[in-house]
Amino acid sequence: MKIAIVDYGASNLQSVANALTSLGQKFEVVAEPKTLTGFDKVIVPGVGAAGSAMKKLRESGFAAVLPTLTVPVLGLCLGMQILAEFSEEDDTQGLGIISGKVRRFVTELKVPHMGWNTVGLARDSKLTEGVPDGSFFYFVHSYYLPVDPQYTIGISTYEVDITAIAQYKNFYGTQFHPEKSGEWGMKILDNFCRIC
Amino acid sequence: MLVIPAIDILGGECVRLKRGDFSDKKVYSTDPVAVAKEFERQGAGMLHIVDLDGAKTGRPANTEIIRAIKKAVRIRVEIGGGIRSSAVAKEYLAFADRIVLGTKALEDISFIEGPIREFGSERIVVALETKGGKVATEGWQKTLEGDFRDAAQTLKRAGVTELLFTDVGRDGIMGEPNYEMVQELIGLGFNVIASGGVSDTSALTKLAALGASGAIIGTALYEKKLTLQEALEATRPASHLTKRIIPCLDVKDGKVVKGVSFENLQNVGDPVSLGKKYSDEGADELVFLDISASREGRETMFDVVEKVAKEVFIPFTVGGGISSIGQIRKLLQLGADKVSLNTAAVQNPELISEAARAFGQQCVVVAIDAKKKGDGYGVFLKGGTEETKLDAIEWAKEAERRGAGEILLTSMDKDGTKAGYDIELLRRVSLAVRIPVIASGGAGSLEDLRAACVEGKADAVLVASLFHYGEHSIKEAKEYLSKAGIPMRI
Repeated sequence: MKIAIVDYGASNLQSVANALTSLGQKFEVVAEPKTLTGFDKVIVPGVGAAGSAMKKLRESGFAAVLPTLTVPVLGLCLGMQILAEFSEEDDTQGLGIISGKVRRFVTELKVPHMGWNTVGLARDSKLTEGVPDGSFFYFVHSYYLPVDPQYTIGISTYEVDITAIAQYKNFYGTQFHPEKSGEWGMKILDNFCRIC
Repeated sequence: MLVIPAIDILGGECVRLKRGDFSDKKVYSTDPVAVAKEFERQGAGMLHIVDLDGAKTGRPANTEIIRAIKKAVRIRVEIGGGIRSSAVAKEYLAFADRIVLGTKALEDISFIEGPIREFGSERIVVALETKGGKVATEGWQKTLEGDFRDAAQTLKRAGVTELLFTDVGRDGIMGEPNYEMVQELIGLGFNVIASGGVSDTSALTKLAALGASGAIIGTALYEKKLTLQEALEATRPASHLTKRIIPCLDVKDGKVVKGVSFENLQNVGDPVSLGKKYSDEGADELVFLDISASREGRETMFDVVEKVAKEVFIPFTVGGGISSIGQIRKLLQLGADKVSLNTAAVQNPELISEAARAFGQQCVVVAIDAKKKGDGYGVFLKGGTEETKLDAIEWAKEAERRGAGEILLTSMDKDGTKAGYDIELLRRVSLAVRIPVIASGGAGSLEDLRAACVEGKADAVLVASLFHYGEHSIKEAKEYLSKAGIPMRI
């Protein structure tokens, strides 16, 4: 099996790569959109701001290819948010693979939402098999995807309920960083690698 | 904060008294067990049961009913009323989770020391009842000499950690709790359960905000002024985001130093095995602080980071001697999640902004070494030896403005003393910024960690020697904090 980690110049790929290595998975870091079609799984990491990330995805050509993929795709953190139609961060048009609008936290609580929070499982998904309801994951973000029964698999609460895990057709996403979320984060990555 | 429904039993019935007056009672149910089960069904986490006959006569009179309640529910039960001998205390503790000692504890302090030694302070609650600032005893008819602060200090010396606080005159009449006194007792380091006058959700949210560990509701519940669901909803945390426990490892020339001593660990000085060990034990994050003096020593840090990132799958921060965007980029590319900037940020604040723009604010931690200076706190460099003109609170605010994602706040006065974190410093900085604050310097006990999180309002605690020398494990720390009502990843 071949896993691609999308390198669009926006994020640090090392942690995801290390996690896959530790799971015994082989992967390639792919910077050329055309070659993506040869892979069985695609991971879209993401750290930073939505505006610059989408700009880089468009310039590199990934923005055109990603929505056409039929293999399992996993977006991490910002990589999940850009699957949506729009983000309030830099008023950015997303890939529009899933409906919905990414919003900024408006709360008395501290922003970013940083640290370990629980995720309640709203419905079954291959991504969360064997992960206990209410497990803790590591989050760092200032914008969130609201809950939508169409794709929300896992819900976390930071004054408002947010989509912590998403699945729509072959597109998956986690708002938290599974590669930094200890045992259950690794379980989710492992599950993704096993989806067929 | 726990919302604890009260079940007061008199003559086998569930009653409420007005201001503790036995002649002014109202019966709400003849079946206390059914009442207890109903509270459990509605979501209570603990019940507060008072044997009023026992309180009146000094001899337990409803033990069988209380035993039946404990059998009927799965939630925690604390019992008070008429516990005036160690024999009765023991009898109750054989099946109840906690007991509440009243009058006698305050008049005969030796009476509480025994049970605390035998059962642990978290199972022994002392009821502190005040009237006009003095301690009320004997059914609130008399007051003791000295004010309530003296009594609190005496209890603290005896090892008491749990207080049930009632300002007499507010109980049973649905007034308001005495917030000032609750706050003062919390400030003295007690876990305080407020009782008396808790009659609406605003009182509950105020108590929760003060850091009370619980609130007992009675009359308001029975008089249907407030439902248990409403009370629980009002105190439900807005988030399950946990406070973080972060072990800090000092690394010199690629080896962990400061005498980290573990049994059963092959290579004690190896940052990778130690980091992995802490991660496996439940650390929420790690900090590696490079204290190498030489350029060669610093170079080895890059190898350390690369190796740690391959084996440790929780976030980790690297600090010590970082002064350029190039270094930051390299550390992040090798797998560090955050970098901590200290001296370089003071000398060149623009570095904070540049790093935040280039890599995102989430990976920029600004470390502040603060020392008390007059009424405020000054910022110091180089391990507290070099004074700057900066005020610590103002500097924290500027760091936030420039894009810092977190503040790592070390008290140079407390560092290495094991006398507890500098709570005042923590509180001031935490209230001044909207980014997370990590408490550092002075942790000598698990209680210090609690105080930093609750009174100091820290979002995370940095811990070194407390864990390194095996005095406590991370698991113990998390259990302790969790029991104190602090959200923890367990």
